Amino acid sequence: METAAADANAPPAIFTRTRVRVGLIISCQIITERAGCLTSVIEHIAEPVLMTPTPTTTTPTKGDPIMNIKKRALLGILAGFSASIAAHVAHADAVQDIKTKGTLVVGVKADYPPFGALSPSGENVGIEPDLARDLAQRLGVKVQFVPVVAANRMQFLEQGKIDVMIATMNDTPERAKLVDIVHPDYYASGYNLMVPKTVKVTSWNDIKGEPVCAIQGAFYNKEVAEKFGAETVAFTGVAEALTALRQGRCNAFVYDDTAIEGKLQDPAWSDYDMPLQSQDAQPWGIAVRLDQPELAAFISKAIIDWDKTGLILQLETKYHINHAAFAVQMHNKYK
Amino acid sequence: MSTHPTKPMAVLLPLPDILRNRDAHKLPIIRLTWWHGALLCALLLASATIADAASAPAKAGVFAILLRWTPLLLSGFGLNILISVMSMGIGTALGAFLGLALISPNRPLSATAWAVTQFFRNAPWLVLLFFMIFILPYHMAIGGFTFTLPDWVKAVIGLSLPVMANVAEIVRGGVQSIPKGQWEASESLGFTRHQQLWQIILPQAVKRMIPPWMNLYAILTTSTTLASIVGVSDVVTLAAQVLSAEGSRPDLLAPIYGYVLVMFYLYIYPIAWATRRLERKYQVRN
Amino acid sequence: MDLIAAWFSHLNDTTGINFTVFYDPFDRARFAHGFLVTLQLCGVTIIGSVLVGIFGAWGQGARSIWRRRFVQAYIQMFRNTPPLVQVYFFYFGLSALLPTVKDAIGNAHPLIGGFIWASISLICFAGAFNVEIFRSGIEAIPHSTIEAAEALGYTRLQTYRHIVLPLGLRICMPALTNNLVNLIKTTPLAYAIAVPELLYVSNQIWSDNENVPEMMILLFFIYIALVGLLVFAMHAWEKSLRVPGLGK
Repeated sequence: METAAADANAPPAIFTRTRVRVGLIISCQIITERAGCLTSVIEHIAEPVLMTPTPTTTTPTKGDPIMNIKKRALLGILAGFSASIAAHVAHADAVQDIKTKGTLVVGVKADYPPFGALSPSGENVGIEPDLARDLAQRLGVKVQFVPVVAANRMQFLEQGKIDVMIATMNDTPERAKLVDIVHPDYYASGYNLMVPKTVKVTSWNDIKGEPVCAIQGAFYNKEVAEKFGAETVAFTGVAEALTALRQGRCNAFVYDDTAIEGKLQDPAWSDYDMPLQSQDAQPWGIAVRLDQPELAAFISKAIIDWDKTGLILQLETKYHINHAAFAVQMHNKYK
Repeated sequence: MSTHPTKPMAVLLPLPDILRNRDAHKLPIIRLTWWHGALLCALLLASATIADAASAPAKAGVFAILLRWTPLLLSGFGLNILISVMSMGIGTALGAFLGLALISPNRPLSATAWAVTQFFRNAPWLVLLFFMIFILPYHMAIGGFTFTLPDWVKAVIGLSLPVMANVAEIVRGGVQSIPKGQWEASESLGFTRHQQLWQIILPQAVKRMIPPWMNLYAILTTSTTLASIVGVSDVVTLAAQVLSAEGSRPDLLAPIYGYVLVMFYLYIYPIAWATRRLERKYQVRN
Repeated sequence: MDLIAAWFSHLNDTTGINFTVFYDPFDRARFAHGFLVTLQLCGVTIIGSVLVGIFGAWGQGARSIWRRRFVQAYIQMFRNTPPLVQVYFFYFGLSALLPTVKDAIGNAHPLIGGFIWASISLICFAGAFNVEIFRSGIEAIPHSTIEAAEALGYTRLQTYRHIVLPLGLRICMPALTNNLVNLIKTTPLAYAIAVPELLYVSNQIWSDNENVPEMMILLFFIYIALVGLLVFAMHAWEKSLRVPGLGK
């Protein structure tokens, strides 16, 4: 009885398939859009203009565990899903497409001053938004920003929610499998120590046996403990670690050098310093989707041009941070 | 002295309440009065005043800072409430089924339900949260639909699991608190087990489940702060960020964390009050 | 031991299931240390919170209304606010108001470290519940028993120590067990203030080895074993304390 009914209602197989497939793609699109909107609304409520990045969003780890687990679990889903995405986004020429569309949608950090932050009026400011504006200008289109965090930036790019990602992302082989990381890399950051000026530190070996505040999950914690013999005291967030540093629970705070630079601009931290050389500099890459070689080539040319004209060095000066060794080196290479 | 050698402590014979109904004490009952809140506020004011007096004249006053960041902290607190309401909803729905499975006469079913309940009641909430944050993918595909799962949604799922187990226990306790005679009487009137449960037992038991259920909600609300540890921007994360935005001034720590304590107190107070009212109301009727 | 290590190493090579704590000496050492810290934390807070419960319940029966109010305020404050915020309040907030010690180069350091603050706040949190539990146990004792003790010339303290507490303890044992289980489940909170307990070291290990599921399973297993051990011990104690005629 039941099977008969099902048979009677079933349309010819070929129609079902197409219809389901079309419906599937459309509904996926709608749902991801909506969920994305909801997320960004909530993030907007919950992550306002503050000077501090949150733990999950900042620490550019070599292979941050969150990413990796997700990647493992995700691969299967993505494999099945990529077909529909590809159908949606693959075009003959992505550059031409953006020009027709009239806007370049760029994913940037909103919590990583001076690289990406929000101004009190809600505008995206910082080195990376400035680079994105330059890209848009070269394309002759308007720029639109989407705030991203470490945990969602790859997905946003793959979904087509953003066209380009400039979001303090380390260039790693694992990530290069999922997105196209444009070469040359545009920046590089290492880790460094933020130390009270009263503590005299002249070399990395001086922290042996000293309590050093850190962020849980940062890849350099192990290195600082094993290579330099520091006793890491790892907190869940940057704010907690900074508070502990201020209270004297540790003699130094190990963190991204770029973020420490930003922090030291704050007059409240004028009694602190970054006296040592950065360690283990990792390059940062701009990313596009895998199937857009034209866009990647266009950005690659732009990056070489930035290095030639010294734009990145100018932006560093504009946002009051020291020239990174990597930026200087790239400028010398291409000038 | 005693004429009953077999009962050497006859004077203690009246059965203490607590032994008669052990399950009732599984979750602690919260009792509040208005002046506790007043006391807490007074404490906050005191700490803020001390900090205010101690801070250098050049810096902004503590009250001004608290006032300036209040909208932000409240929005974070709103996320806590959202998480608590959603976890409670999901946990209650799942827990009701699990609780019914617990009292099912089908042995394999009730044994499985028992194992699930015990696992989620005894695992630390924080570890469960971590588990969900890391194991759940950012996207989830259910029957061809893809959902985006931001961290706070994962926190909702992570918190709803222990809620589910506790609700299951509440359901079981509530059903078992109905005298056996009710089952027998309805059976002799020709009700099926299904009818007995849904028409006779549950309508009475639900009333008794409400106070412990509300109490569970109060506990859950305080536990939503755990989400901050796994990276959700709730009120505790925001409090830390506010501190950092103000330059991590040591004198601000006690007032700001105290402020967060007061927020939770003010939210939980009416719930605890209503719980106590309901408890008393149903006690009279029984 | 070597055999176990070899087996888990083999497991990793063949299946990718990576329990580093069983074969990597560095990870094993820090995991063992984390386990030890968790055990210490559980031990200290269980004993401390039971003592708080005993003294608090005594204070609740005090004649002085202010002492009763003080105990009541303590209970309400710790029961109705998030334990995480309490830990932060203690570790960051109260700590900032306490005097500091200066080291050789003149930097001020807080007197009390993370472990002690975690213990204090967890004791206060669980203690607040214990006071209520002991009180309910005490209230269940028939008034005639206490009157009998008074008639025999016991002081209030003596009555509490020799009559009320031993009987009340037996009555509230199930509720106490339940609260102590809750306490064990709350100890991972110390992670938030960088106390190197089990969750903290697990987090470091999974950050370094990217073996989150394996570490999670291990964590669940250990915590459930700890809870099981406590429940077993409490049941054994309950049985050994059983007084014929009380309750049953």
